[in-house]
Amino acid sequence: MTDRHTLDVAELTLGYDDKDIVKAVSTNIPTGRITAIIGANASGKSTLLRGVARLLKPRKGSVVLDGKAVHDMRSLDVAKIIGLLPQSPVAPESITVGDLVSRGRYPHQGWFARWNAEDDRAVADALDATGTAELVDRKLTQLSGGQRQRVWIAMALAQGTDILLLDEPTTYLDINYQVEVLDLLTDLNHRTGTTIVMVLHELNLACRYADHVIAMKQGEIVVEGDPSDVITAEVVEDVFKLQCDVMPCPRSGTPMVIPLGRHRLVEKEKVDAAG
Amino acid sequence: MTKTISPTRSFRAHRRTRARWGFALSVGLTVAVAVVFILSMTFGSVTVPPLDVVLATIGAPTEKWHTFIIYELRLPRAITAVVVGLALGASGAIFQRLLRNPLASPDFLGVSSGANVAVVAGFVLWNLTGYQLSIAAILGGFATAAAIYALAGRGDGVSGYRFILVGIGVSALMASVTSYLLARATLNDARAAMSWLIGSVGMAKTSDIIALAVALTVLLPASAMLGKRLRVMELGDGTATALGADIRLDRVLLMLAAVILVALATAAAGPIAFVALMAGPIAERVSGRADPSIFRAAVVGALIVQLSDLVAQHALATPISTGIVTGFVGAPYIAWIIIRANRSGAAG
Repeated sequence: MTDRHTLDVAELTLGYDDKDIVKAVSTNIPTGRITAIIGANASGKSTLLRGVARLLKPRKGSVVLDGKAVHDMRSLDVAKIIGLLPQSPVAPESITVGDLVSRGRYPHQGWFARWNAEDDRAVADALDATGTAELVDRKLTQLSGGQRQRVWIAMALAQGTDILLLDEPTTYLDINYQVEVLDLLTDLNHRTGTTIVMVLHELNLACRYADHVIAMKQGEIVVEGDPSDVITAEVVEDVFKLQCDVMPCPRSGTPMVIPLGRHRLVEKEKVDAAG
Repeated sequence: MTKTISPTRSFRAHRRTRARWGFALSVGLTVAVAVVFILSMTFGSVTVPPLDVVLATIGAPTEKWHTFIIYELRLPRAITAVVVGLALGASGAIFQRLLRNPLASPDFLGVSSGANVAVVAGFVLWNLTGYQLSIAAILGGFATAAAIYALAGRGDGVSGYRFILVGIGVSALMASVTSYLLARATLNDARAAMSWLIGSVGMAKTSDIIALAVALTVLLPASAMLGKRLRVMELGDGTATALGADIRLDRVLLMLAAVILVALATAAAGPIAFVALMAGPIAERVSGRADPSIFRAAVVGALIVQLSDLVAQHALATPISTGIVTGFVGAPYIAWIIIRANRSGAAG
């Protein structure tokens, strides 16, 4: 991949039935960086990602890949550039890891093309990068949640795309697996420069791992930018309707959101005195 | 895993082992079909030894009367069992994988019953015969498939569960239409239609077998190619789209192939129950870790029909219809699927 692909969203309106969920959103996805889309439930964050991934047709506006509207491009051509891990991917009950990851090679195989050495290499690299090579003979149903998610990521990696979209890749995972998955994606981004766009539920992890956050509310972007610049107590209150303190994480320096709630709080002066 | 083996080489080795096992299995199942094919022509009112069956079939009989017995009496039935089984097995596997549900066979989706109604109507109302009935079956199958698709496929994507529920409703409707047609038919027509409705490979006409054989010659190789699409379609609309599949087109193509196969099988041998339902999952079971294949499902379908027909012809003093035997095997199988699905929480 010599030139990096650019992905933009232009005046994109998306919706189901008669309701617009995403309203005339425009943004430029930073190339080669990790972007997290955050927001409350029903803020349109997943819908935006699904629109970018072509799972929804735009009502208005477009998703622009390298200057061209993706919905005018051949689906197989787009699939060589943009990969997606859906929120709850489904697979046949008895599928093996090796079989599933191999299916990520679909866009690289024509009607008659046979499996070739390039396919072998791509799948092997994907298994290796996600630490799932030893699982290749196992059935997907026999794996733990964390292992399963790594296998799905391996499938998306085998697709060999420059841009990877992930819809809540950490939801339903235990905290250790959430961190494992995000570390894995960051490794990938650092090693290959893959542009990553993901919807994340967990605000602190988004701040920690993303280079760029897009905060959404009621189908519109409230604010976007480097988390250290844009994640403030006011923004979190606006987006999530949550009273909170935001302070730099003592270990990473990235913003850390501390919800206030109504219980077990001590006076702020005492905290400062103790600190 | 030691680091000395390159990941590419170890994956290639893994893939090849799996492919070899799948191929060996396909060959083994095909041989089994061939063996049962010969055995099914061995037994009857007179026994013709297997070697003589083969010689008579290829046109070099050891005794002149073998030719009559084989060509006139036993070969058509043996061929029907194979082609009908292949068609039902392939059709069922395509539907089940496309809709991601083991209950999504044409038996439940209403496609078979749509073909039934068309054949019974053609026979009772318009005295259609031969190819006309095959065409009627295809039209009936398509019409119901289109109706179910329209009813169940609203919104984005097609949910397998909704498809099955709508299909069960449509099946019930079709069954009552069939009953109505039988009620107003003459006694002779009704008798003929009733025995056809149980499903038996013994009554296929040459025209049915030819129509089905032609369809299989085109569609089985095509479904190997469609199988590539099925492999991504069964990962859900989201993943399939992201992988570059044209989900609407692929879904229609796959369903088209499956409907043609099941409709022609129905025209040939009547609705032989539950073969399409059982073939795919059984093929998957025996396949173990080999990639799923439509071809193996088809061959398992052929084996089920062949063996059921052997039982139907020889187990009791008087021969019975093939469909009765598959019904006896199929009913407990369905109960087992449902119990298993409930236990694993995969019913939805």
